[in-house]
This record gives sequence, C-alpha cells and structure tokens, in this order.
Amino acid sequence: MDLETKIHYPLVVTGLEVGYPDAPPLLTNVSFSVAEGEIFGLLGPSGCGKSTLLRHLVGLEPAKTGKIELFGQNLWAHDGAYLDRIRRKFGVMYQGGALFGDLNLIDNVSLPLIEFTDLPQGAIKAAAQLKLALVGLTGFEYYLPASLSGGMQKRAAIARALALEPGLLFLDEPSAGLDPVTSSELDNLIMTLARNLSLSFVIVTHELHSIMATLDRAILLDKGKKGIAAMGTPHFLAHESDSPEAAIFFRREESLLAPGKNK
Amino acid sequence: MIESQNHSPFRIEPAEPGRFVLKGSLNAHVPSKVWDVFSKFPRGQVRLDLASISSLDLNGAAQLLWLRERLRRRGVAAEFTDPPGNLIPIWRLAVDTLGPPADPPPRPHFFERMGRIHSEVWADFLSMAAFLGELLSHLLGFLVRPWRLRWADTFFLIEQAVIDALPVTALVAFLVGLILAFQSAMFMRLFGVDIFVADLVGLALIRELGTLLTAIVLTGRSGSAFSAELGAMKANQEIDAFVTMGLSPSRDLVLPRVMALTMATPFLTILANFAGLLGGNVVMVTLGHPIIVFWEELSGHIDLSDVMTGLFKAFVFGFTVATIGCQRGLAAGNGPTAVGQATTHGVVTNIIVLAVLDSLFAILFYVANW
Ligand SMILES: Nc1ncnc2c1ncn2[C@@H]1O[C@H](COP(=O)(O)OP(=O)(O)O)[C@@H](O)[C@H]1O
Ligand SMILES: [Mg+2]
Repeated sequence: MDLETKIHYPLVVTGLEVGYPDAPPLLTNVSFSVAEGEIFGLLGPSGCGKSTLLRHLVGLEPAKTGKIELFGQNLWAHDGAYLDRIRRKFGVMYQGGALFGDLNLIDNVSLPLIEFTDLPQGAIKAAAQLKLALVGLTGFEYYLPASLSGGMQKRAAIARALALEPGLLFLDEPSAGLDPVTSSELDNLIMTLARNLSLSFVIVTHELHSIMATLDRAILLDKGKKGIAAMGTPHFLAHESDSPEAAIFFRREESLLAPGKNK
Repeated sequence: MIESQNHSPFRIEPAEPGRFVLKGSLNAHVPSKVWDVFSKFPRGQVRLDLASISSLDLNGAAQLLWLRERLRRRGVAAEFTDPPGNLIPIWRLAVDTLGPPADPPPRPHFFERMGRIHSEVWADFLSMAAFLGELLSHLLGFLVRPWRLRWADTFFLIEQAVIDALPVTALVAFLVGLILAFQSAMFMRLFGVDIFVADLVGLALIRELGTLLTAIVLTGRSGSAFSAELGAMKANQEIDAFVTMGLSPSRDLVLPRVMALTMATPFLTILANFAGLLGGNVVMVTLGHPIIVFWEELSGHIDLSDVMTGLFKAFVFGFTVATIGCQRGLAAGNGPTAVGQATTHGVVTNIIVLAVLDSLFAILFYVANW
C-alpha cells in the first residue's frame, strides 16, 4: 500500500440504520467517513435523529443494520470489554454537558485519568488543569458544575472529553444556548485542537456561523427523506448544492442571522 | 502520521551531569516511577532534552510541566530543550496554556466550621419557622374560604397516599400486633393471665404504635415523594416559573399536600389498628381463646379517649410529615444531587421530629391524665 497517500479515517460508517428498537427507523442507509484532523458536521432540523445517530456512533444504542468502524475496529463485532477499549479512544460531550454534579471541575476531568492510568496524583492534577485551561476555565478548577453557567459547563465537558487524549471527539450541539462571543471562542478552540492535535471532530450543530467557520465537511440529515439529503463542504451545501433540503436549511438559518437582508 | 513510532517505550537516559535525554512516547500511559530519577536531585540546574522523544500528547506535556514545578519547589531549576519540530505545536500549546498550579480552596478553621454549622442549623430553623407561618396563614385562609382549596388535587393526593401506604401499613401493623401478642403471651401464660394480652396489644396499638407506624410508613412513601417532587421542580426552575406566574407554591403546592396527608393519616391509622388487632387476635385464637373473648376484653378496658388520643396524634403526625417533606423539597439547592439530598434530609428530619413529638405527647397525656 502506498503510505504517502494513505489517509487515516478514525470513523467510517456504512449503510447504518438509525433508530430505537421498537420504533420505525429514523434514518436509513447513512454512510460517511471522517478523516484524521477533520471537523465533520451532522446537520439537520430538530428531531431528525442527530442525537440518536450519535448514540449509535458512541456505542450506546446498538445498530440494527450497517457497520460502524472506529479506528479501524468494528464497534459491534466483539464483546463489552472490547467496546470499552474502543470507547477510551474517543471523547463525547453530551447535549446537556453531563458533568458529574457532586464533583468539582478538576475532579470531573481527573476521573478518567485516575481510572485508566497510574500517573502520580500531582501529574493528574496538572493534566486536568491543562485541559481546563485549554477551554478557558482557569480559576474555576474547584467549582461545582451547578455553580457555573451553561456555556462554562459545556466547555468543562469538552475538557473532560479530552482527558484521555482521544483521537476523535463527538460534540452534541456545543454552541446551542451560548452567546455569540462564547460560541466563537468555542469554535476557535475546536479548530486549534483539530490543527494542533490532529484531533477529529463529529459535531452536531445548528449555528450557521460555526458551520461556515469550523466545519470541513458535513452531512445534512432529513426527516422526510429518512437519510442523508446532502453531503459536502459547508460552502457547497450553502451555495451550490441542488438539494432542496439544503436550500431550506441554509436559507432559513441565514435569514435568522441577518434579518435586515430580508426584503 | 507519527503512529508508526508511537509504541517505543518512554525512558530517561542521563547524559553529562545535569542533563537528561528523554526518549520514546510520552503520554498518560508511561509508568509513574520513571519520574523517580529526579526525586533526589540536588539543588541547582537540570536540563531535560526533549529532542529525541518520538511522540508527545497533552498528558505527556502536563507531566513535564508538573515535574518542573515540583523541582522548582525544591530549589532545582529545570529547563527543557525543544522537542522535534512536528511536536512543537503541542508542546507550545501546553506551555502557553498551563498556569501555576491551582490550589484547592483552604479548609475552614475548626471554629469557623463549627460556627458555620451552628448558623446553618439556626438558618434552617428560621426558614422552617417562616415556612410554617406562611402555611398556617394559608390554613386560616382555607378555613375562611374552604372552596378556594384545590380540592381536585387534594382528593387525588389523599387517594394516592392511602393506596400507596395501605398495603405496607397493614402488613407491618399486622405483624407488629402478632409479635407483640406472641412475646407477651409467652410470659403472661406463666401466671395464667394471658387474657390480658388483648388489652396490652390493644392499648399499645391504639394509643401509640398504630399511629407511629402509620406516620413512619407515610414518611417513607409520601413525605419523601413530596421532597423529591418539589425538589425536582425547584431544580428545574419550575418553582420560579410558578412564582413569576403569580401563584404561591405554599398555597397551591404545599397546602393540598399537607391537607391530604393530615386527612389520610387518621384513616390509615384506624386501618392499621384493625390490622394490628387482627394479628393479636390470631395469637389469642391459637392459644385457645375464642375470638369473641378478645373483643370483649378489649371493649372492657379501652374507651373512646384512648382511640381519640391515637387519632389526635395521627392528625398532628400527618401534618408534620407533609410539612417537613414539602419544606425540604422547596429548600433543595440547585443541581441533580440536590434532589436526593433534600429527600434524605426530609426523611431523617421527619423521623427525628416524630420521635420527639411522640415523647412530648406521652408526657402531655400523662400529666393531663387522659
Ligand atoms: N429513547 C427513545 N426511544 C424512542 N424514540 C426516541 C427516544 N429518544 C428520542 N426519540 C425520538 O427520536 C427522534 C429523534 O430524536 P433526536 O435524535 O434527539 O433528534 P435531534 O436530531 O433533535 O437530536 C425524535 O422524534 C424523538 O421523539
Ligand atoms: Mg439532539
């Protein structure tokens, strides 16, 4: 094999059917792959199944048909211990943050390091503090999650997802409910991590500005089509795609962003 | 990219004095004892050469920065030579981002802690008193305009409390009656006075145990449910929404619950008493006394005042259990763990208050000679 041109794909999804066990499928035949260092978007209207797709990808909800390969390993091919080993290679930020409420931030971030490494306590503290500093939470190390704003909780959740140096990070609506300044800080953080650590991202997002600024590629999911309506770079989806769903999605988002332009 | 070299084990090789060369992959999985080389390093300077490491991640960089800080505190100045070019961005990111070690907030002094606990208990007491005052004013309002109570809610809550608690209360009361009768019968038989078992069981149940039992079961089932419901509403800001709509949580949420439990408890107590007497009766029958003898004996020695004593206490206990349960729920803090804490707190407070109240009643009734 030609090593020069070989691209690593931490995530490859083929023919996946998305849905819950006793319900009709939400999406069918979902296929895409995410390259190393790529920031990949899952777009689509509310309720079309983005969070559910994410649950399949991180191994919380078994897939009925289709294949999910993470770091070249088939997610559902083996037993639970094998699944746990794969899980340690990626990080997840859930829609609500999902920080452990009775642990302060530094303990939240330290937890995976304490569980899975035998680093000295001081080194673990330093590593956790570094991750928190990276997401701009210096000075909040000993705060409990409940005493922070929503945006800070999300950033802390990203810091925790980074604890074990994952190669791939799943983020469910990181910028939802954040002010524009915080949201663009988060975008910058994501891009810094992708460039400097060759970290790949799979991001569920609605924020047009984030979509255009951060994503390398994205798929647009659709409820009516029960699958992928369009795939490509954000520029392609917004301006060149002939998919009617893409036109609706981007035009609506744009008109929300700049109401002055609607004449 | 650098995957192929990723698996070389990390090691530290001493070069000339005061200089060490680090080699291999530096990440979270290096054995922690590799750093022990530096634990006895004398004061002065040490240079750590990173130019030969094959891979580095943020957890690896954090260990180096932690080491530098640890050495600095011992009077050793550590300096690093930059890692290979492809690792410089990560290394720079870590060096530029990590500030001085964050120290946990200091633990308050013993007297300060005691003072704080003291003032918390006092604040707790005050908020309970304020809550009780507000509730009593709504109760007065209810007496003036009874039709303003949310009767539908109240009936639903009564129904729920009774249905939830009935099987457990009946079973526990039956068994307590049975055990009480059995234990005392063993002894009284020796003197041939086992007929008095009926009075013992009857009095104990009707004056004390039936009521207390019911109240404790209600604490576990209804009181804790109230704390959890209202605590979750508090955590979800539903209580705030309630207040900003111009509704009053204590009138519209607490009062129906308190009324419901105050009415349900005497009813449940009567049923508990019957279940307990039934248990005592079973023992008497097995000892050879006909059923009728048990009831005859009871009616001879237990009068209405005994029954009323028990029922009066049941009213008070029902009121207490609901009030404390609701107050703890509304006093819950923010965050998901707060609901659990509020519930536990409510149950514990309730059990203590029930025990204290029951003792006070015992003294009161003794003095008043009821
Ligand atoms: N546990 C569940 N069981 C069955 N259906 C669910 C479950 N969770 C969510 N759904 C349904 O799946 C659909 C997609 O939900 P979700 O993936 O959360 O959408 P979104 O794209 O907004 O993240 C919704 O219609 C929702 O009602
Ligand atoms: Mg969602």
